Amino acid sequence: MKKNVVFWVGVKNEKYSEKYGGWEWMDITRKSWEYWCKKHDVIFFPFEKLVEKDLTKFRINWQKAIYSFDILDDAGIDYDQIYLVDGMNIIKWDTPNVFELTNHKFTAWRDTDNLGWTYKSIIGYKDFFNGYEFDKQKYFSSGLIIFNEQHKEVFKSFKKLYYDNVDKFVELQDKTVRKGTEQTPLNYHLQMNNVDINLDLPFSYKLCHIHRKEMFNHNWQLNEDMTPFFIKYGYVWGFSGLPKDQRTKIISQVWEQVKDNYDDNYILNRLVHKDEWCKTTSRKFKEDILRIFSNKKNMNSLEIGSCRGDTTRVLSECFNKVYSYEISEENIKVIREKCVDVNNVEIHQGDVYDSSFKIPDNIDIVFIDAGHSTDLVEHDIRRFLKYNPNIIMVFDDYGQHDNSIKNAIVNTDLPISQFIGEYNGFRFKRINGEEVILSGREGVICNMGTV
Amino acid sequence: MKNIVFIVDIKLKGTQDEVGRWAQTRSDPYVFAIKAWKKWCEKNDCELFVLNQEVVSHETMPVSWQRYYVFDLLEANEIEYDQVMYVDADTIPHPDCPNVFEMSDRKFCFVHNEGSYDWILRSIENYSKFFFDGYMIPWTDYFDSGMLIFNKNHKDFFQKIINFFYDNRERLLKVEKTWHAGTDQTPVNFLTHMLNIDYKKFPYEYNMCDMYRKELLDNNATFIDWGYIYQYNSIPNNKDDKLTYYWMEKTYKKLWD
Repeated sequence: MKKNVVFWVGVKNEKYSEKYGGWEWMDITRKSWEYWCKKHDVIFFPFEKLVEKDLTKFRINWQKAIYSFDILDDAGIDYDQIYLVDGMNIIKWDTPNVFELTNHKFTAWRDTDNLGWTYKSIIGYKDFFNGYEFDKQKYFSSGLIIFNEQHKEVFKSFKKLYYDNVDKFVELQDKTVRKGTEQTPLNYHLQMNNVDINLDLPFSYKLCHIHRKEMFNHNWQLNEDMTPFFIKYGYVWGFSGLPKDQRTKIISQVWEQVKDNYDDNYILNRLVHKDEWCKTTSRKFKEDILRIFSNKKNMNSLEIGSCRGDTTRVLSECFNKVYSYEISEENIKVIREKCVDVNNVEIHQGDVYDSSFKIPDNIDIVFIDAGHSTDLVEHDIRRFLKYNPNIIMVFDDYGQHDNSIKNAIVNTDLPISQFIGEYNGFRFKRINGEEVILSGREGVICNMGTV
Repeated sequence: MKNIVFIVDIKLKGTQDEVGRWAQTRSDPYVFAIKAWKKWCEKNDCELFVLNQEVVSHETMPVSWQRYYVFDLLEANEIEYDQVMYVDADTIPHPDCPNVFEMSDRKFCFVHNEGSYDWILRSIENYSKFFFDGYMIPWTDYFDSGMLIFNKNHKDFFQKIINFFYDNRERLLKVEKTWHAGTDQTPVNFLTHMLNIDYKKFPYEYNMCDMYRKELLDNNATFIDWGYIYQYNSIPNNKDDKLTYYWMEKTYKKLWD
């Protein structure tokens, strides 16, 4: 059966090891692609052994372009689409399945970071391509491209072009133009052969020149989230345009920050999220809770409406004690299973709107996720404020269409401190299969002090 | 009915010591933009409309917000119009710049703002939190408000922008000075999405911001060979806007004089 393939370019050439500050960075980026491929049932195919040993005549970038079909055919891979990936890229753990977004076209991304370089490269190769007027608005980076079997012939003719002109290409590449290897010739070749190229996917799928874009920074004005912008908003992070000998150092630092997400045993990879079960919170919501309350082991928390305990288990990571209240006996059993590996969760079955319910002592933070009508949420807000005017309150479902949670917060003048979780536009399914789209942010933290 | 190119060139009386948008020298190079756009209009059978008086005092409404009065201004001046393109006064078109009105599909058109995403994302996140209830916009479609194309169908949209300004005036003026993360641009980006305005994104070549960062603003003036509408912003070490003047004068003389 045909499968999609990530053709990952990870040739370690000892001759250039020093220039690239060692090859450890490749071991790191590889892990991210292996994880993503497994998650999306994609074949991870590492290109690690050279086809041609002469790297002066056959640079690795040329080899990846002209031999990828041959290599996959020789390996007996029954491929559908092929995602050719340079080894300097890390893919974010939750990147959607990009193969589903290509419309089965040759897919690439415009390269608009250093247009001065691109211009010189295009002009430099113009004479070789008989003065062809290249449409510059369609120039793409060859570091991440997706293609399929229908492009086999054009790559075959590209290989022939190279074989027929190898000495000339080497001269242009190393002496005359000195702007790139196979990228600009491939651009010319595909455009001259009228290949229909999909350039419409957002560049968050190919985020390179991160320093030039100033995306190593975080929002230092709100100062709520120290996550660098490229991690927060990008899907594929390309560590290009940086001093090559710094690559291992920089990629290692990034990996230290994100590596847990690629571990199947990581808490967030063991829990259920909103895209799978509508009644829990999203992974992003849980990530935000973990990040914001990561050092609050001196605080006690209460959760009303624990449902199946997925968020409860996250709260147990953050706080000294978690008091969990849930009305359903069936759910209580699931919560116990989810929290079996921790000893700081006290689980109670009961109706939190019954007169017998008593707020436990010494609660610093409450996650309100029981009744969802505006009246019930208002009732919750007022009673918890009465209990402790400084209590921190966390709400799910703030951005749902009926505004029931939002209205309760507005009606009680409760100050919003931070927005958390998924954004407007996030889609999930109700139990009956009906699709729901968030109209605002998934959750809010209130009464924690405003910026 | 002609298509209109609309430019705002209001000279505020700054003092010698003031910098940035208040500097006396800021608008000096705009003369090159106006002359170039006038010639582009003649070539493309359009009309140039330059606003050089405040609609309301800039103390009431900063000049950057006053562009959204464009429909009132055109109608008050009894100018018949079809589509309108607003361009910042620090832009110059290439003589070969295609007639963009023929590319608009009669939608609200703009160009994605490439450049410092530290600035862009801070601006988006800050306005999201304090003005738009946590609502988020697609950041890869974030546009620079220095080139916009619109038509009469957008009158209501522009009125809502003006209303938004007055409804939030005090806070907007305050954050403009504390965040330094733009004036009208980010709120208008939000309103475009929140009001479901149907838009079309033009390629970078139609509003080439931050050319220095892209290594286009070089001694060979590579930008001229790359695209169609040049915006001379975000130039480093640009004391008293001298480099803006230098590049705009050089471009005008090379392309239009």
